[in-house]
Amino acid sequence: MLEAFSSGFWQVLSWPAFGYLLLGIGIGFWVGLLPGIGGLATLALMLPFSYTIKTPIEAFCFLLGMLAVTGTTGDLTSILFGIPGESSSAALILDGYPMSKKGEAGRALGAAIMSSLLGAVIGALSLAISIPIMRPLVLLFGSPELFILTIMGITFIGTLAGASLIKGLLAGGVGLMLAAIGVDPQTGSLRYTFGMLYLWDGLDVTPVVVGLFAIPEIVDLAVRGTSISQAPKEKLKGVMEGVKDTFRHFWLVVRCSLIGVYFGVLPVLGANVAQWIAYAHAVAGLKDRKQAGKGAVEGVLGPGAANNSTRGGDLIPTIAFGIPGSASMALLLGALLIVGLQPGPEMLTSRLDVTFAMVWILIISNIIVAGFCFLILNHLAALTFIRGSLLIPFLVVLVFIGSFTANNSVYDLIVTLLFGALGYFMVLNGWPRPPLILGLILGKIGENYLWISTAAYGAKWLLFPSVITLIILTVIVVAYPTIKERRGKAKYDRPEDAI
Amino acid sequence: MLNNFRSAKARKGFRQILILASRLSPLIFFLFLTLPPAFGQTPFYQGKTITIIVGTKAGDVYDLYPRLMAEFLPKYIPGSPNVIIQNMPGAASVIAANHVYNVTKPDGLTIGAIYPALYFDQLSKKPEIRFDWSKFNYIGSPIVSNHLMYMRTDTPFKSMDDVRKASTPPKCGSNGTASTGYYMPKLLEETIGTKFDIVVGYQSGGDVDLAVERGEVQCRAFTITAYFAREPFISWRKRGFVRVLFQTGTKKDERLNDVPTIYELMDKYKTSESGRRLATVVLAAGDFGRPLVFAPAVPADRVKMFRDAFDKIMKDPAYLSEAEKSKLDIDPIRGSEMQTLAKEVVSVTPDVVERMKKLMEPGN
Repeated sequence: MLEAFSSGFWQVLSWPAFGYLLLGIGIGFWVGLLPGIGGLATLALMLPFSYTIKTPIEAFCFLLGMLAVTGTTGDLTSILFGIPGESSSAALILDGYPMSKKGEAGRALGAAIMSSLLGAVIGALSLAISIPIMRPLVLLFGSPELFILTIMGITFIGTLAGASLIKGLLAGGVGLMLAAIGVDPQTGSLRYTFGMLYLWDGLDVTPVVVGLFAIPEIVDLAVRGTSISQAPKEKLKGVMEGVKDTFRHFWLVVRCSLIGVYFGVLPVLGANVAQWIAYAHAVAGLKDRKQAGKGAVEGVLGPGAANNSTRGGDLIPTIAFGIPGSASMALLLGALLIVGLQPGPEMLTSRLDVTFAMVWILIISNIIVAGFCFLILNHLAALTFIRGSLLIPFLVVLVFIGSFTANNSVYDLIVTLLFGALGYFMVLNGWPRPPLILGLILGKIGENYLWISTAAYGAKWLLFPSVITLIILTVIVVAYPTIKERRGKAKYDRPEDAI
Repeated sequence: MLNNFRSAKARKGFRQILILASRLSPLIFFLFLTLPPAFGQTPFYQGKTITIIVGTKAGDVYDLYPRLMAEFLPKYIPGSPNVIIQNMPGAASVIAANHVYNVTKPDGLTIGAIYPALYFDQLSKKPEIRFDWSKFNYIGSPIVSNHLMYMRTDTPFKSMDDVRKASTPPKCGSNGTASTGYYMPKLLEETIGTKFDIVVGYQSGGDVDLAVERGEVQCRAFTITAYFAREPFISWRKRGFVRVLFQTGTKKDERLNDVPTIYELMDKYKTSESGRRLATVVLAAGDFGRPLVFAPAVPADRVKMFRDAFDKIMKDPAYLSEAEKSKLDIDPIRGSEMQTLAKEVVSVTPDVVERMKKLMEPGN
């Protein structure tokens, strides 16, 4: 095993594998930065190029290296412009963008990059550590357990609601309802599709997220007529402060990374959900909860770590069974087949070096991109001091290109516009946006797992020990802050604004 | 000095070109001889770009076949046009099919790569369907998909006989009602009287396989190709985790010699005539494989040109070795055969259509 561990390392660093890794990182860097254009779409675009690559490790250096860094650089866009660079980076906006507005872009970026790096390393290490127990780990969660987990996820709407719980719950409810759009998988009936084929597959998360978060910020920027940062321009400082923040809140970062890994392992959930849970966890632990959504650095650290560590978790079912844990993993799997490696159990035995090479790719690519980001951070943060009127045209173009890549359909643009209008209304009237997204993502998943559990086990699944444990856990998670407050040990205020 | 050097270099280069030309002249002469009689008239496709509209996202297996085809088409179409892929995912490729049928110019520059079972929706008269399956011009399909059903070996179901007699039916997993995972077991119920509990709603076929491994469900129906080419099935077969209960081909797959075909089962259990007709219509989807189509009004000579090119590509060793490398099985069906089949499937009698609707749409 140790031999495979070092063999994987040297294979990644050998030529031309390392060249492919750098190329992948280079592409991933930009893809992450550009709003909306996601790692998944780019992976699909790059797949044909990887056909010419000869060995599995080289192909993985290129593709996984690319995918690994999109999470990190996506965070940067969220913080700097309030526009999600990736749909899995949207949670970074909530506290990261207010930090930029306060002129603390440097600190926020430092925190995001450092926590991303830590998250990626923890994700990669979890992947390495779980090699012996991978198969039972994946099999642990059946549909009933997954259903309860989505319910637990939905309860986080309460934390994400911001100042008004009622508004939060309503927004979450709208999200759940939007999740019902499309072909119902149980009976094949069409729900809320209004005769439009585009709606058959339901609403895609990317155009919704981009519309909901990016458009209001762009409008706001235009209305204010200033630069993004409202603080006067000085030499960028605080990057080191952000790095220090990461270590000041080290255990928070570790916990959020583990949340990321965990959601990566579970089928379907992944980074899109993990970021919100991690954010909710991070702000729930704030000493002064009124600061949530106003530029609390914890709100940057949590999702920053979680959306990077999911990559490690994602790989676990892919390697253990040859069954992809997410859409991007399905594409990676296709690439592996083409270079002649059958992903699956043999990667835990005879091709263990490839598995360890993946661990190394995750770690090395994130170290490289973090180093590079620190070098150019000053230039990036300077963008927040550019006059808004110069920035807006670029942002608008990027936002629409980004959402168009979801389905290559003109309706993607219409969805972006509609949700942009909705988002603007929500911001104006103090309605929180994260619950809507969480409802949209979890609604469909939860519905499916409820149906499957009932179809497979009748009502018996409610009595599974694992299910009961998870239900109790959910109740504890929900009730814990209230109990603590009742005992007078802590005082929890709701945040002052919608987040 | 520099000028001298340049001109010397230029003279040398010119001489080399002359030598090269003289060496190539027999080849050029030969090429003239082999040119088609229509020489002098530029081929229609010269300098043009052909777009293959793929009804899935990039990276899907439905996308991989046309991408491979795109590499080889220029070699076999006179004028060697550019071929590009455009992904138009959504609504199980109905969006792409509607687009190719209605929106694109029927000039033979746009090919559709769509799902094989779209005629189900046409037969059940879904309003969103804006094409007539039998009027597409079929170019061919690189593969005919036959299906099988696997069952965990630790269940009491060793054959379809056991399933028929079972008091608690086995549970089969599927990702949706439009998937073979759903309608194959349903078809067995309709034709040979077995009973399955079908658990629908998994995100993908892979999720069903995980659920089988966990014991949540016990069986799944899908393509024979994947069963022999992919994980987890390779390890499953090695450790005897599942057995195959039936296959859909008219001929037995040589790797599944002891597994009955659905036709043998229908003979054994004396399926009625209307049941057999239902089976023919449903199973035809497998014969359409991964169809490549033109819009109806594309000129016949261009359709023929592409059908011929398709047939040649299917025999091209370079294509076959590329496909082999990418683990894409090749077992082609010709465009003309698909055309006949398409006419057959849309002209079934109303009673069969009714039975099919019942099979496909449990909600209605």
